[in-house]
Amino acid sequence: MRTGLEELSVLEVRNLGYCYPDGREALRDVSFALAANERAALIGPNGAGKSTLLLHLNGLLPDQPPATPTVIVDGLPLRADNLAEARRRVGLLFQDPDDQLFCPTVWEDVAFGPMQLGVREPELSQRVADCLAQVGLAGFADRLPHHLSRGEKRRVCLAGLLACEARLLVLDEPTSDLDPRGRRLLMGLLAQLPVAQLIATHDLEFVVESCARTIVIDHGRIVADGPTRKLLNDEALMLAHGLERPHILRHAHPH
Amino acid sequence: MLREQLLSPYQPGTSPVHRLPAGSKLALALVFILCIVLLPPGSWLAFAVLSVALVAAALGARVSPRQLLVRLLLVEPLVIGVALLALLQPGGWPLFLSMLAKSTLCLACMLLLTATTRFSDLLRVLWRLRVPSLLVTTLALLQRYLFVLLQEMERMQRARRSRSFHDGRASTWRGSAQVAGQLFVRTSERAERVYLAMCARGWKS
Amino acid sequence: MHIPDGFLDLPTAIAAGAAAVAGIALGLRDVRRNLSPRRVPLIGLAAAFVFATQMLNFPIAAGTSGHMTGAVLAVVLLGPGAAVIVMTAVLVLQCFMFADGGVTALGANVLNMAIIAPAVGYVVYAGLRRLCGDGQRSLLFAAGFAAWCATVAAALACAVELAASGTVVLRSAVMAMGGVHMVVGLVEAAITMMVVAVVIRSRPELLDRSQRVEHGVPATVAFGAVATIGVLVFVSPLASSLPDGLEHVAHKLGFAAEAATPIAAPLQDYAVKGLVDQPWLGTVVAAGVGVAAAFAMAWLMARMLTRHALHARR
Repeated sequence: MRTGLEELSVLEVRNLGYCYPDGREALRDVSFALAANERAALIGPNGAGKSTLLLHLNGLLPDQPPATPTVIVDGLPLRADNLAEARRRVGLLFQDPDDQLFCPTVWEDVAFGPMQLGVREPELSQRVADCLAQVGLAGFADRLPHHLSRGEKRRVCLAGLLACEARLLVLDEPTSDLDPRGRRLLMGLLAQLPVAQLIATHDLEFVVESCARTIVIDHGRIVADGPTRKLLNDEALMLAHGLERPHILRHAHPH
Repeated sequence: MLREQLLSPYQPGTSPVHRLPAGSKLALALVFILCIVLLPPGSWLAFAVLSVALVAAALGARVSPRQLLVRLLLVEPLVIGVALLALLQPGGWPLFLSMLAKSTLCLACMLLLTATTRFSDLLRVLWRLRVPSLLVTTLALLQRYLFVLLQEMERMQRARRSRSFHDGRASTWRGSAQVAGQLFVRTSERAERVYLAMCARGWKS
Repeated sequence: MHIPDGFLDLPTAIAAGAAAVAGIALGLRDVRRNLSPRRVPLIGLAAAFVFATQMLNFPIAAGTSGHMTGAVLAVVLLGPGAAVIVMTAVLVLQCFMFADGGVTALGANVLNMAIIAPAVGYVVYAGLRRLCGDGQRSLLFAAGFAAWCATVAAALACAVELAASGTVVLRSAVMAMGGVHMVVGLVEAAITMMVVAVVIRSRPELLDRSQRVEHGVPATVAFGAVATIGVLVFVSPLASSLPDGLEHVAHKLGFAAEAATPIAAPLQDYAVKGLVDQPWLGTVVAAGVGVAAAFAMAWLMARMLTRHALHARR
């Protein structure tokens, strides 16, 4: 299924490996590709290397980019001289929105990315307004971050990524610590966005509902990569990697 | 919550005072305070006139007088304390009262300024005045994360209190020091993540 | 120690402000030279941390509690330049958001608590560490004594500013502010040491380790210079009372000459009255006692805090 899709892939990872500063191996021989407009889930037990892998996708890791590029974004191999462009194309949503929402007001935070990219008034304000509207937070521009709920903060962060015109959204546990309503809102929002998405998550129900493809990672290696229902229905596979078959599949009618 | 109010002196509004640009309000406040500082002690008529002007501005701004008074009362003891030093020299009581009046007027002016102006707008004024970017960034991050850290600190203290069975001074000292130390460790880790988040959106250091 | 508006006259406020700006410029230069850009967000978040920890309660007695200002804590954790920026930001926020400290007095407040305190703290801390070695105990001791020195130095600077403005008489200001802060400084030292001890135990690599070569000046000379400056700071305000003392002596001797009484009697008089009537002597003694007390306390606490660690590790 991979031949011929390389040209259309928005993300390609080739033999990615990484060791922590203390020598422990974090990732080994990770390879996969993501097509434009594809939504894939990245699941695995804690400590499998999900977050470490995500940090590689926009060049935050490793500290020195390797000689042979291991990550190719939208046809652009990540190197030291094109990190800025790579970071524009790959929008990384951090797990704790308080880490990512570092500006004093919502407006300034959504405008941060575009401003670094050189966008100026009046286009800047227009873009901020459009992106806030896209995430359902029109009118929130003047709000202070610590007055927002967790779900609202996360959506502001999303707006900030959309404002950079990202081609791929990489999300680290987007539904964790959201109440059911916030979770539904976010899921609905992500479903509407016409951008490729790679979602690292423990929320297996969300994976079944939203992602056609799932990549399973454990001990830094990819152990499975394929259609969601097939993988998540494989009880042995799930249990072997610290996961379990989600309820939604246990009680579903077999196809 | 009282603490929440204390941390956000800004009272949103649409009065003419609110709508004045932040730079002008800052300049006006500074001029006002400068006038008060330059007045010799005992200029009671001038003090009265300036008080009236301030009250008029506060009314025009349609801010809650209760909130302003609460904040004023919180800082007033410090002012009284310093003014008491004046009693140590000849000319004591009238000097003390003059100082009290001057300081209180200046306090009230600053409180009105922060009630009608967003801190981020004030920061933007500083930025335009070419204040070094590290200082402005530090102020912005300070204001943004103050509440986050205070909440984290409160959670840690609550956890500590639910595990301590003595309430003596020594254990409170140990506990508070532990909270402070741990808070720094967590803050360092968070700062690392904020750095990554800033880089992820194109920040060039 | 925040000076409100109306207590400083304009010349003093402007002079202090100019000195503060110079100090901040030096701090920025130190940060540019010694801190990697990766640490820039840390400076901002550390400012929030210092502000937050200033609100922690350390109960002393009968409802009063001590608090930490954190200038030397910032120096130990981030280095002197970053500490200057951190404390400046905290003071600016306190001034504008909470009217804690006047706007016209901002220059003086920054000079005292954000420049003088970290600078004095750093010189003492670095000097003592070089003298006493690099162990945990010497680090804690240096941090504690440095915190005390920084607190007292800031208080004395504050007193000088208030006196220069004619708000208070210099001697009263120095006695009051200096005296009170010699005690407050002990609390600051104790808290600083305890917090640093917690950080050392969990993440020692977080302490500021950047080396700053002071153009090869030996640590002893640097420390001696600081000590001399410290003594001068104590003694020079008291110079105002020296004329009194000298006058008194001259008066006595004059009396002695006029009365032509045996030499022994006036000399004996002078010797006894000297100790009672020369206030400056008493003050210097008190200051010396204060320094010794702070030194001893810091040393003892450092021992106490590392006692468990030694048992555990060895």
